[in-house]
Amino acid sequence: MTGAELKSPEDLLKERFGRVEKAIELGEPDRVPLIIFTCGDILRKYAKGYELYFNYDRAREVSVRFATEYPVDVFLAALAAEGFIFALAFSDYPDIAPSVRFWTGPMHDALGDKYTRWPGRELPEDSIFQFIGGQFMEAKEYCKLSDDPITFLNEVILPRSCLNLEKPNSEKANVALIRLGVEVSRYLKFLGDSAADLAKVGVPSLPLTFAYAPLDFIGDFLRYPTGALLDVRRHPDDVKRACEALVEPILKVALSLKPAGAKYAFIPLHLNEYLSPKLYNEFYWPTLKKIIVALYEQGIKSLVFFEGWHDPHLETILELPRGWGIAYFEKTDVRKAKKILGGHTCIMGGVPPSLLLEATPDKIKGYIKDILSEVKPGGGFILSPGVADIPMPVPPENLRALIDAVEEYGRY
Amino acid sequence: MSLADLIDAFVNLDENRVLGIVEKLLREGTDPSEILEACRKATTIIGERFERGEYFLSELVFASEIFNSVMRVVLPELKRETKPLGTIVLGTVQGDIHDIGKNIFKAFAEAAGFKVIDLGVDVPPERFVDAVRTHNPDIVGMSGLLTISYESMKKTVNALKEAGLRDRVRVIVGGGRMDEHVKRYVGADEWADNAMLGIRKCKEMLGLGG
Ligand code: B12
Repeated sequence: MTGAELKSPEDLLKERFGRVEKAIELGEPDRVPLIIFTCGDILRKYAKGYELYFNYDRAREVSVRFATEYPVDVFLAALAAEGFIFALAFSDYPDIAPSVRFWTGPMHDALGDKYTRWPGRELPEDSIFQFIGGQFMEAKEYCKLSDDPITFLNEVILPRSCLNLEKPNSEKANVALIRLGVEVSRYLKFLGDSAADLAKVGVPSLPLTFAYAPLDFIGDFLRYPTGALLDVRRHPDDVKRACEALVEPILKVALSLKPAGAKYAFIPLHLNEYLSPKLYNEFYWPTLKKIIVALYEQGIKSLVFFEGWHDPHLETILELPRGWGIAYFEKTDVRKAKKILGGHTCIMGGVPPSLLLEATPDKIKGYIKDILSEVKPGGGFILSPGVADIPMPVPPENLRALIDAVEEYGRY
Repeated sequence: MSLADLIDAFVNLDENRVLGIVEKLLREGTDPSEILEACRKATTIIGERFERGEYFLSELVFASEIFNSVMRVVLPELKRETKPLGTIVLGTVQGDIHDIGKNIFKAFAEAAGFKVIDLGVDVPPERFVDAVRTHNPDIVGMSGLLTISYESMKKTVNALKEAGLRDRVRVIVGGGRMDEHVKRYVGADEWADNAMLGIRKCKEMLGLGG
């Protein structure tokens, strides 16, 4: 970015992070911030999928390489799979719970979990990992989940969903947990080192913690997404009770990173797009709202990733306290979101991955110019590719065009 | 209880009532193909409600579930196979395992009268090519939601070209993140980001009107 090379990394960090914070506080920074997330796709420019998820040194190297070549206001590489079920199962232990929130390749080796598949293991070496989920709970077990979620997860679900934990107290299971522990400490070191690498080149990370919408937890880890949807019709009261029962442990997980300085809780939403407003307001939103509000009251703002098309539920966001956090949109048009939520909610998103993939740099710049002219005024807006990743074949000049365009048209 | 009751129960997603009526109709000797025709009408109405914003994806998931249950009972009873509108070879592309949308499209396409050969998920280009050779379909439908899927779709189209099969089929890509950009990048003929639109486009590609 222009003039960036003249500033020290410390100054750049302050400037970039300040920009993002200002937008989150619903203000107008010096220009619209640009945030890039990846689960690894774009980093396959530099390394095979296998290396990204199994070799922490390589992962560090390529993350900082990307951030150096394409400096943005926050860069976040989540090179690990969804492992929220572990965080939840251990939520009474704040020193452990957040560390097992994500699973890397070696953690998969340790656990033999059936939720994920990995390059160099179940998959070819050059692919990205796959979270495939599964059905590990019967519909008739909802009451056990609701009565005592932690015991049920530890004693029933983990043995079912992780090959190496099949027989609790067996040698195999105990060794698996020790292996997991060893791996977790390597992973935590990697996270710390990686953030430090990025800081050295002046690119901030976000101090994140994590939460989950209760119904999504049921869909992703216990009943499969379609199973959860069918349960909403076939066993509505059981589903509601279970969602309520999950609120407290989810909050415990999210708050466990507060002492370490976490400021934002990332919450990716999955079943939101599927539900009619009636079902959303009955089964999904009440418990999610409780979580967002409780975190806000504890000084943690949520970064909610409204995956898919969230249009039918946009107005419900206004039920949250003003300045509650960041609404990251995917298919919902950020212009429409800004009209409805502007001044109340910080909005993030705006760049479809297909545009970066196929359009020319000029088209991309034109697109960003147009969109910013509508959503920039009044502040409270963060530009970001819509799906929390960028396709690997995106030409470098297109990525450059994205960065240049915010610089050119994002100034206040 | 009549076919009209069946349509009504189906459109209102009353699973138990639908299955009860189907069983009774079959017992009374109703032609199974008439039952399928009623289901086609019901799914058309459900599709219209979806497009008007009255039904949502969860209703489509449920409708597919009901349709599949009905098919399980009715298909074995079906004496003569009705001539399909066309054949679609369908799969979620390599590297991608999202198939809820693909399965909805499949159920609604079958209900609309297409024959669908479902290759499942994480389907490599070679398997699409093999399936085109074996089944000689009118349409290849590729589903995908991941950013890596654009690449897999493009590879599949290229593999069809290399096998000399590209001109024999129409290619449609489907999934929530499809648009003109993706269609051009992949080299497909059409794209759809919802099942109803996809079915309309499949019909159009075969000159059957919308
Ligand atoms: C449910 C879901 C899952 C489930 C999938 C279950 C399953 N068997 O499908 C689980 C939890 C397993 C999952 C896993 C992952 N997911 Co996921 N998932 C979703 C989610 C929330 C919903 C997708 C969905 O089912 N939509 C509803 C269906 C009905 O819509 P649809 O697929 O578009 O289908 C409709 C139309 O498109 C059309 N259609 C579909 N196919 C076809 C085909 C043809 C030919 C035609 C004509 C039409 C057609 O008909 C359907 C009905 O109208 C989306 C976000 C979202 N809201 O889209 C993320 C999303 C797709 N996932 C995403 C990701 C990243 C992943 C993971 C990598 C997550 C992770 N980090 O572990 C893994 C990947 C696994 C893999 N390799 O595939 C990303 C993809 C973008 C990206 N960054 O690459 C999304 C977009 C979320 C995001 N980040 O924005 N996921």
